[in-house]
Amino acid sequence: ISEMNKDAQMRATINQKLIETGERERLKELLRAKLIECGWKDQLKAHCKDVIKEKGLEHVTVDDLVAEITPKGRALVPDSVKKELLQRIRTFLAQHASL
Amino acid sequence: CPFLLFQAKSCICHMCGAHLNRLHSCLYCVFFGCFTKKHIHEHAKTKRHNLAIDLLYGGIYCFMCQDYIYDKDMEQIAKEEQRKAWKLQAFTPTVVSHYQCTMTGIGEKYSTWEPTKRELELLRHNPKRRKITTNCTIGLRGLINLGNTCFMNCIVQALTHTPLLRDFFLSDRHKCEMQSPSSCLVCEMSTLFQEFYSGHRSPHIPYRLLHLVWTHARHLAGYEQQDAHEFLIAALDVLHRHCKGDDNGKKANNPNHCNCIIDQIFTGGLQSDVTCQVCHGVSTTIDPFWDISLDLPGSSTPFWPLSPGSDGSVVNGESHVSGTTTLTDCLRRFTRPEHLGSSAKIKCSGCHSYQESTKQLTMKKLPIVACFHLKRFEHSAKLRRKITTYVSFPLELDMTPFMASSKESRMNGQYQQPTDSLNNDNKYSLFAVVNHQGTLESGHYTSFIRQHKDQWFKCDDAIITKASIKDVLDSEGYLLFYHKQFLEYE
Repeated sequence: ISEMNKDAQMRATINQKLIETGERERLKELLRAKLIECGWKDQLKAHCKDVIKEKGLEHVTVDDLVAEITPKGRALVPDSVKKELLQRIRTFLAQHASL
Repeated sequence: CPFLLFQAKSCICHMCGAHLNRLHSCLYCVFFGCFTKKHIHEHAKTKRHNLAIDLLYGGIYCFMCQDYIYDKDMEQIAKEEQRKAWKLQAFTPTVVSHYQCTMTGIGEKYSTWEPTKRELELLRHNPKRRKITTNCTIGLRGLINLGNTCFMNCIVQALTHTPLLRDFFLSDRHKCEMQSPSSCLVCEMSTLFQEFYSGHRSPHIPYRLLHLVWTHARHLAGYEQQDAHEFLIAALDVLHRHCKGDDNGKKANNPNHCNCIIDQIFTGGLQSDVTCQVCHGVSTTIDPFWDISLDLPGSSTPFWPLSPGSDGSVVNGESHVSGTTTLTDCLRRFTRPEHLGSSAKIKCSGCHSYQESTKQLTMKKLPIVACFHLKRFEHSAKLRRKITTYVSFPLELDMTPFMASSKESRMNGQYQQPTDSLNNDNKYSLFAVVNHQGTLESGHYTSFIRQHKDQWFKCDDAIITKASIKDVLDSEGYLLFYHKQFLEYE
């Protein structure tokens, strides 16, 4: 743990605060709802099915799927969703300025 | 919250301290490690601990198979632990999320239904299945008139088509607590729902219901025509009492603590603010209500200080054709500040004396089903008559302007957006209309009810016919039933 650099340390502290106040859970639910609403979940689900069909059900592992869909998943998140969540986090940080 | 504090401090990788990266926990010893950075893999290799659990999703990873595995026993354990964890979380309100609470029991995680052995047996022995298509008429059934009982038939039609009430009864949620179940109105309603959704097309004869109503609401007994609105309130009252096993109405009832299905669906909160004209102190009370009774123009109480749309706002998209009163007009009048006059002075706790005041009603809490009663029957000292003024009512209604919170923001100078589309909580859809034809002395009740999303049917005792939306909206309207469009779990 002494290997953590300043950035990672800051991230960890913020994360702790988010969890303690229950904000992390709220943000997760918000994100989950938004991603379902905009069809992101369905898109990725379809992509998973394609990968499984391609590789064959017996030969594909969870890791394979994760490797395949992570880049696409990251790219497909709408900007509006990113903006909204960033705003929420900014507001949270402003309220807990002592960090 | 100690649970959250613990989670915050301890859910990190033992090697690098990160909390992301698909954290896994070793199933042999206390070790948390990142999956992405392969810290857990290292641990597995060096310690020969070949099973780990994903801390986010609960998947079990086997390092020998190099993949997630699905074991029936593990899944059973996981399910049970998750259920227990959820019950714990119910006591930390900051963590409870929208998707995972049920209406009638907080702390119960939503899980899809899986049949038990007994249920599988029942399903095998009863192979007949009912498929609900968009055109199927299940749920529609006529009611025989037992002698001027059309007032009761209309209310039964409205209640059997209240979606939440239907779901409650069809999923068998009523557990009778009455000392004599044969006199339980809730049990009878349950039977009624079974009858309505049985698929039988012949009209139902509600003689048992009528008898129970006569027994428990004596003022409605007899073969004369009664008021459908009175019947609705009496029926809701008896159902509410019987939900808690109250046989003879003598138990002290605390409306604030009742959580019966009737209260959950129909009870709203009406806020009354009395403002002293001298010191401007406000005295607020909130009373529960099951319905809103609205005065109409043409009654002996004056209707208009307001003219439609006078504040420039367009509410509910209603066309203010000159002269037509709308439901919104009636609601505006209902929630207007009313000067109580010098003969009705209220003792002001600020001034310590009797002062003139104004009173204003607003909605504090909206019920899931809002019932509007247009006061068409006038029983004043001078005359008894029916007011037949046409009142136009919308298919979709937004109650935002009549909320206590809206009034507060208006008073604080915050301009209220005319269409507050972000606030879905106050939007309602019409699903049933009860109409009265004729005069006070001899009249007949019929109702319109909504099936599926936009199919309407006219219920005239035993006769059910298809109706158009225009038929419904052109009707006179006596009792209007609206259902919230979006349900929020509390």
